[in-house]
Amino acid sequence: MALRVMVVDDALFMRNMLKDIFVRAGYEIVAEADNGEAAPQLYQDTKPDLVTMDIVMPKKSGIEALQEIIATDPQARVVMVSALGQDSLVLEAVEAGARDFIVKPFKEEKVLETIRRIVGQD
Amino acid sequence: MDMSKYRELFLSETREHINSLNQLVVTLEQEPGNRETIDALFREAHSIKGMAATMGFNSTARLSHHLEDLLDGFRNSGDIPSVTIDYLLEGIDLLDGLLDDLQANRPERNTEDFLTKQPVSAADREEKSPERPMAAVDDESSKAPPEEPDSFQVLIELEKGTPAAAARGILILRELEKYGKLKASKPEIDELREGGGCEQIQAWLTSLVEKEQIKETLLNISGVANVRFIEDRRKNDRRLRRAVDRTIRVRTDLLDQFVNLTGELITHRNILNTAGSNRSWDELNTALERAGRLIDDLHHNVLQVRLMPLQSITGRLPRIVRDLSRKSGKQITLLLNGTDVGIDRVILEEITDPLVHLVRNAVDHGIEAEGVVTVSAGREKDLILIEVADNGKGMDPQTLRQKAVDSGVLNQAQAHSMSDRDALMLVCRPGFSTAEEVTETSGRGVGMDVVRAAIRNLGGTLNIISEVGTGTRFQMRLPLSIAIIKILLVNCAGRVLAIPITRVQRTLDLPTSEIETCGQHRLFRLNEEKLCMYSLAETLNLPQAAAGDTTWTILTEVRGQRIGLQVDGFIGQRDAFIKPTGFPLNLLTGLSGATVEGDGRVTFVVDPQALLEKHQMVANQ
Repeated sequence: MALRVMVVDDALFMRNMLKDIFVRAGYEIVAEADNGEAAPQLYQDTKPDLVTMDIVMPKKSGIEALQEIIATDPQARVVMVSALGQDSLVLEAVEAGARDFIVKPFKEEKVLETIRRIVGQD
Repeated sequence: MDMSKYRELFLSETREHINSLNQLVVTLEQEPGNRETIDALFREAHSIKGMAATMGFNSTARLSHHLEDLLDGFRNSGDIPSVTIDYLLEGIDLLDGLLDDLQANRPERNTEDFLTKQPVSAADREEKSPERPMAAVDDESSKAPPEEPDSFQVLIELEKGTPAAAARGILILRELEKYGKLKASKPEIDELREGGGCEQIQAWLTSLVEKEQIKETLLNISGVANVRFIEDRRKNDRRLRRAVDRTIRVRTDLLDQFVNLTGELITHRNILNTAGSNRSWDELNTALERAGRLIDDLHHNVLQVRLMPLQSITGRLPRIVRDLSRKSGKQITLLLNGTDVGIDRVILEEITDPLVHLVRNAVDHGIEAEGVVTVSAGREKDLILIEVADNGKGMDPQTLRQKAVDSGVLNQAQAHSMSDRDALMLVCRPGFSTAEEVTETSGRGVGMDVVRAAIRNLGGTLNIISEVGTGTRFQMRLPLSIAIIKILLVNCAGRVLAIPITRVQRTLDLPTSEIETCGQHRLFRLNEEKLCMYSLAETLNLPQAAAGDTTWTILTEVRGQRIGLQVDGFIGQRDAFIKPTGFPLNLLTGLSGATVEGDGRVTFVVDPQALLEKHQMVANQ
């Protein structure tokens, strides 16, 4: 069965780019959100295998969304997507339970490597 | 060109050259103007340089080139000042360290500090800094917390400028936690939580997972540039020594012998086949007898291959003694005798540390200000005798007894009844040290108890002879080989047991009527000497057979005392291939291995010495 992925990012450009990468890899996009507020409920509804989560977003930050998701599902596989120079935010996210992080600009194979590693482990 | 196949040879040969360098420098120190020694040193350095450069080990090549240049300068002047001797020795140590790196597949350590500094005198150096500056030693492994058997250190290097390195570090440590017990890390997880830079992570891990698997997973994590494993140095050294030993050189005439003997054995197989199909018992017996002789020859030759001269481990001693003399301010002369004697290399390997410890002890505790330490070796029947002797102050049995009483090891009565010989052996008790304080020299983690245990594990014995004012001699008696030994088969409580012949001084058929009972003890006379009699069955908690007219007795030695060990009968002696027993049988005291009989039955080999010591200990309590 294809890996079910949810993409959370406020920029459509980023969402599309990630979605294209995942579709090419044969994954299924089960949900997407453009802000942190909608993400936790969407996670509950769709129960994806993996979430990519932007950190800086309007309404609610990726870290807050991550914390809510982890609170309901400690096993949730959330990979943060950050820009360069957000080290302290990434650290906070990792502390909060993010499984890994991807730094923009990213390469397709790096993203897939990270995801395969995380999914392969459980 | 693929150089990797030459790697082992390079490592073992370079170690030999380093050994020679050490010896030559010590010689040179004693005869500073000896032109031949300088020439020899030059050649050694030159050889290392050539090999290292060919292998592409640049730091090693550069350092040996540097030493070669230095020595070349003195070839003309013909006189080396003492500061240069120190500098040379430091350089040789650094070479040794580089070789450790290469052996452990680490990058070569930095030699820049050494290469750029000028030889300085020891006195100058001490003025400049209280601590002797170590020549750029990459001491990753020396900082390790206490090691456990299956623990190792892993070094994870991150890519330069990897984003959110601290977060990456935390993820890596979390990853490691999945593989076992993460005992410590540098930086610690808490340090990472506070942010801050992180270029590499050192972690001490106890894990059952294959290192390769761990490495593979770690390398998959983005930002991880390199993963290396660093083993506990001592364990590593030992393993590496083994690896080097894999390439010992064998004389070609010995190899020819093997081919000849194998050929003859093949011929004999044919003769046996023919005799078998002819059903001729006479032919069969003759052929078997000759085959037996061929196997004995083969055994003898195989042992020869495994033999290495004691020199290969005593080569380090002059340097060690020289350094110790310097440090302690004592005038010590080291004499080596008979070190060309051949010893099974497994045994040689196991006695390396004990031998060094005994020599250190002699320098440290034996000799007061000036004296001679003699290491001598020789064959004694089926055994090798290695002796470390000093002409120092000697040990006083009475002082040792008193110390044992003071420290609660013995009570007054026990101390009083203890023979001088036994009292000397007290120094082998764990934690029993005669030195007023533990010095840097002797406090190296190897105690006399470890020395004795190592010797005993090899089926050998340790004997201490000492006289106040004359000196002390530590004698190690070791078997020639540990895999194939002669055993005495005995009956004991309805079973057959084997005793290594090295443990048997004599066998006696004593009339039972001549054995006296004295309190709890049984005694018998041997040449006007009264000896204690023990029963093998009793020490093994087996039922004892009713006493017949004859008491079959093995004369053996426990803690330097001759005793009799009663068995139910002798079966005979033969060569046997002894295999160590596996867990949990290996935990049993006194059981030293097992051998398989012709009919497939297993015969256990018991070590009466270990067995009786335990028995006496229990009895004393």
